[in-house]
Order: sequence, then structure tokens, then C-alpha cells
Amino acid sequence: MFVYEKKLQYPVRIKNPNAALAKLISAQYGGPNGELGASLRYLSQRYAMPYPELTAVLNDIGTEELGHLEMVGTIVYQLTRGLSPEEIDKQGFGAYFIDHTTGIYPADANGTPFSAAALAVSGDPVADLTEDLAAEQKARLVYDNILRFCDDPDVKDPIRFLREREIVHFQRFGEALRLLTDRLDVKNVYAFNPSFDKKKRR
Amino acid sequence: MTERERMLRRIQATQFALWELHVYRDTHPACREAAAKYKETEARLKERRAQYEEKYGPLDERTETGNRWAWIRNPWPWQLEEED
Repeated sequence: MFVYEKKLQYPVRIKNPNAALAKLISAQYGGPNGELGASLRYLSQRYAMPYPELTAVLNDIGTEELGHLEMVGTIVYQLTRGLSPEEIDKQGFGAYFIDHTTGIYPADANGTPFSAAALAVSGDPVADLTEDLAAEQKARLVYDNILRFCDDPDVKDPIRFLREREIVHFQRFGEALRLLTDRLDVKNVYAFNPSFDKKKRR
Repeated sequence: MTERERMLRRIQATQFALWELHVYRDTHPACREAAAKYKETEARLKERRAQYEEKYGPLDERTETGNRWAWIRNPWPWQLEEED
């Protein structure tokens, strides 16, 4: 169950439209390292977590990523407001515009639609949490790459916030992985899959 | 920035602090310092939300303000104030 809050996690208020930048940032809406993939990955992985702290981390970070998806959608929306068809074409947004006008559609920066292949749900908590550590780093580097192309302070500010959240989430996932391996066989944490091979663990 | 936006930003800042503590406590459930900070921040947020909602309408569907139009008409998070 989710409750909607009528506000963003961090404010987004962009004065100047810039469709070229919107196209790059839309990568974090529907690209392989984006917020849609992150939220669905963690919210889908949480079912197989064998310890309560791990379930809580995946549940809560997955929920926060939905808030980030809303922030990225807001950035793309505000960057494409009030433009003429000529400006849209000149700023390299024409190919997107043909199918989606200025609606917000989950695709990567090349226009390839969102793919669930980016979710990576293995049912093995060591594999999933290690995947999540990498996922946070990949999202962080995409934000770093976005910042290379971005000189508008209205856009940089929320992008920096999102970038910092990836680093905090990386930290929490690292702690979660440690909590997990501490409870497994010290000589071989891979001796079995604690989500599947042993029942009723708490 | 309008008065509404100013009040909303203070809520966002307080709620973010609370959320950060919440996620931290997922992996540190026994941390007393974080628990105390959480309680203190929670009280501040409750007060700020109540002040905002009384003036500008509900922030979520749990708020009982009886003001249907405020939910529908007030700006959505992605909309800029000057838009309409």
C-alpha cells in the first residue's frame, strides 16, 4: 500500500526550458540506470530477503526511488515547457516529440523504451545486494555525466541532491550486505542460499 | 517564491531529515541517538504540516480538512506556481 504525498522530496523549480538537456536527463527516468528501474528492482527484490533489516532497507529505498522518479519527471517536464516546434527541433528533441509530444515517457537518452531487463532480481540476497551496490554507483555516474552538460543552477541543484542520495543508498546497501554475511557461515557465505535453502529463519 | 512555497520547503527539509533517520535506522535499529533525533524531528514535522494544511489544504489523502477543491485545484508538485 502506498500513500501519495502532494510534494516532491526536494524542490524543483526550473525557469528556463532546455529540450536538449531534458533529453539527456530523461535517461534517469526510463534508462537502464534510472529511477524507474531502481524503484522496481528494490521493491521486487525485497520479497526474497531473509532478515528483517534487509527487507526494510529494500522496501524503504525502493519507496524513496519512486519519489526520485517523480523528481526526474518534474525536471524533464519543466525543461520542455512552452517551447515552439522550431525550438524543439533545433534542440534535438524532435524525434521524441513525434511520438510523445511533451508527455513524459520512460525511455533512455537514445529513445529506447524502458526495459524490465534492467531490474535484475535473482532471489539470492548476496547477489541482489551486490547488484544494488553497483546500481547505485551506475546511477551516481549518470548524474555525474549529466552535470558535465549542465550549467543551469536550477537544474544542477536537484541533480546534485539525487546524486548524493545514490551515495547514501550505497552506504545503506553496504551495511545490509555486511549484516547478511555476518549471519552466514564465516568460512563460506555461499554455502547455501539463505532465501531458499533454509526455511523459517529470523 | 510565494508564502505557500516557503512553508512547503520547510516541510520538505524537515521531512527529509526524518526520512534520512528512518532509513538509517533500518540498519541501525538499536541506535538511541538516532531514535531521539527521530522523535524530535517527527514532532517538528507534525507541527509544520498542520500549519500548512490549515492554510493551503491537504498534503495527502489522510488529512481530514473537508476541502475537496484544495486537493484538486492546488498546484501539483511538478507545476510551477505562475503556471495557471
